[in-house]
Amino acid sequence: MTESKLSIVDLTKRYAAGLDPAVDRLNMEVEEGHLVALLGPSGCGKTTTLRMVAGLMDPTAGSIVVDGKEITHTPVNKRGMGMVFQSYALFPHMNVEQNVAFGLQMRQTSKSEQKRRVAGALDMVQLGHLSKRQVKDLSGGQQQRIALARALVVEPTLLLLDEPLSNLDAKLRETMRTEIRSIQQRTRATTLFVTHDQDEALDMADRIAVMNGGLIEQFGSPTDVYERPRTRFVANFIGQANFLNARVLSETGSAAKGETHYRVSIDGLGQFGAVGAPGLTGSTHELVIRPHRLRVSLQPAGTETIAGVIERVNYTGDALSVAVKAGDRVLQSQMPTSSGDLPRTGDAAYLSWNEQDAYLLPTPVKEPAA
Amino acid sequence: MTVTQTEAPAARRAGAAEGELEKSTGRRNRRTYLALLIPGVLGLVVSFVFPLAYMVRMSFNKGAPDGVIEETFTLDTYIQPLTDPYYWRVTLDTFQMGVTVGLLCVLVSYPVALFLARSTSKYRGLLIAVAIAPLLTSAVVRTYGWMVILGTNGLVNSTLDGMGLIDTPLKLTNNMTGVTIGLVEIFMPYAILAMISGFGRLSPQLEEAAGSLGASKLQIFTRVTLPLSLPGILTAFLLVFVLSISTFITPRLLGGGSVQVLATEIYDQTTGLLNWPFAAALSVILLVLFGLIIAVYQRLTKKIGG
Repeated sequence: MTESKLSIVDLTKRYAAGLDPAVDRLNMEVEEGHLVALLGPSGCGKTTTLRMVAGLMDPTAGSIVVDGKEITHTPVNKRGMGMVFQSYALFPHMNVEQNVAFGLQMRQTSKSEQKRRVAGALDMVQLGHLSKRQVKDLSGGQQQRIALARALVVEPTLLLLDEPLSNLDAKLRETMRTEIRSIQQRTRATTLFVTHDQDEALDMADRIAVMNGGLIEQFGSPTDVYERPRTRFVANFIGQANFLNARVLSETGSAAKGETHYRVSIDGLGQFGAVGAPGLTGSTHELVIRPHRLRVSLQPAGTETIAGVIERVNYTGDALSVAVKAGDRVLQSQMPTSSGDLPRTGDAAYLSWNEQDAYLLPTPVKEPAA
Repeated sequence: MTVTQTEAPAARRAGAAEGELEKSTGRRNRRTYLALLIPGVLGLVVSFVFPLAYMVRMSFNKGAPDGVIEETFTLDTYIQPLTDPYYWRVTLDTFQMGVTVGLLCVLVSYPVALFLARSTSKYRGLLIAVAIAPLLTSAVVRTYGWMVILGTNGLVNSTLDGMGLIDTPLKLTNNMTGVTIGLVEIFMPYAILAMISGFGRLSPQLEEAAGSLGASKLQIFTRVTLPLSLPGILTAFLLVFVLSISTFITPRLLGGGSVQVLATEIYDQTTGLLNWPFAAALSVILLVLFGLIIAVYQRLTKKIGG
């Protein structure tokens, strides 16, 4: 494995003695050129982590290594990172050009070099024509781009983005998502990106660190965290999911990527096929099925189906969410809409899934003491 | 067909009536607003505009030594202070005192204000209250306090003497030094308040951003913190300047009669020599001085306000 650009080792932040740590022995390796999203609900420690990497906050313990050099206690102005703040933090007493040039001035770059690079950075964010504007005369999206240009013009060792899109309206957010991603890929800037928006993370990131309570619950590619969540929290936070407690009866064969096919038994519903990590036989695990991977049909089809009654139908234009009551459980399903007959509340429904779409969480469910 | 024809004008009429109604309520609203202004304007006219006009008129009268005021129209009252070097001296001293007190007061209040503005402590409110608490005691009391502290046998001199640093007591009262020290302390709460309210654009994130871009602590201060706190600094300076050149108690008490500024001069002319026209002329000169400084202030704020 190549040496990583950024290694975070046992990083811990405790705001006050006696309080639970905001970040708890966090470990992470970031590869050169990757965009890594720190994703989690508010208070999960994602911003604290970013601020420690930036040097704006002192860690209680642990270390931060960039390019093989430990920088845990390097002052913020010696780290050479580019940061974009949630509020953009553009200097209101300087114009656009002066804002972007600030980092270069601090590095005592020659005047002509400054001019060239500022122009380059402004062109990159397509705002070259606004170089003499006052910051207060810019729209939110423009301010966002200037903040990005200001951070990138110094060719930072790491680009740090703290919820950069949360102050923009929905439409603009989508545009900026694509734009930030394409600029990041062009500059190959290794990037840490804090967000609470799962769509943003899935769309933009090479790797996602799903955080909860100061810990990383899972660190992996967008497909990994979506398709193969390691915990119930991850499955629930990224996308929607149905959870069913399943007793793993036997292995039925080996699946792709070192996974194993299993026969599982779900109380009151019967036996089904599922996939999971090897060696789960004999214990009870939660089975995760995404709503749109749960097929609903109005006629009984095949043997491994769950019979139920449609309890609720929500039409959203693009999709139809169907809640099906089976026994004492309510399962969420999603199907594409068509101009044909729509299922109605009270109809009988039969649920089924492809074996590889039913994923067993690796940690067994604690059986209630009998 | 006929129905629609008759209906249309009716509808138009109704619409017009509505517009009229809107206009008349608008007018009525404006009238209400104007009516609401009357008490305040009336108060100002009675307590400020009339006296000011009276004072200006008074400054063109002729005063006699025995307090007799001759109703006339003369510029003598202005010619005297503008030609007599003594009054030039007094005016310049007043101006200089205002500038010195303003600068020193801003200098000592700035760190306090900056700390209070940036504090996120739960005691911030309490700390601000403590900073402005001196306003609860009158300037007279605080001036007497400074007389005790700065006097020949006061705290400062006896301490320095006890440490063997001086042989003869420093002269800290009955001169401009004492007045300046006293005024700086007395006006600090005003300066602090004015600065805190003027630091609106300052935010910790801007300083963090500057740091992340490579600025040292000193560079952050000179390139970000100071420029963004300039509006507050200017407002505080203006306020303290205006308060200093118009204050009478402290120059009189701490100056012990040897510090002559426009305010003390006006007082003497009014109550001692009973030369009201002359006192009025000096007051007008003081007002012009205010006006000049405010004009400069406005030009500066426009410049730094961007």
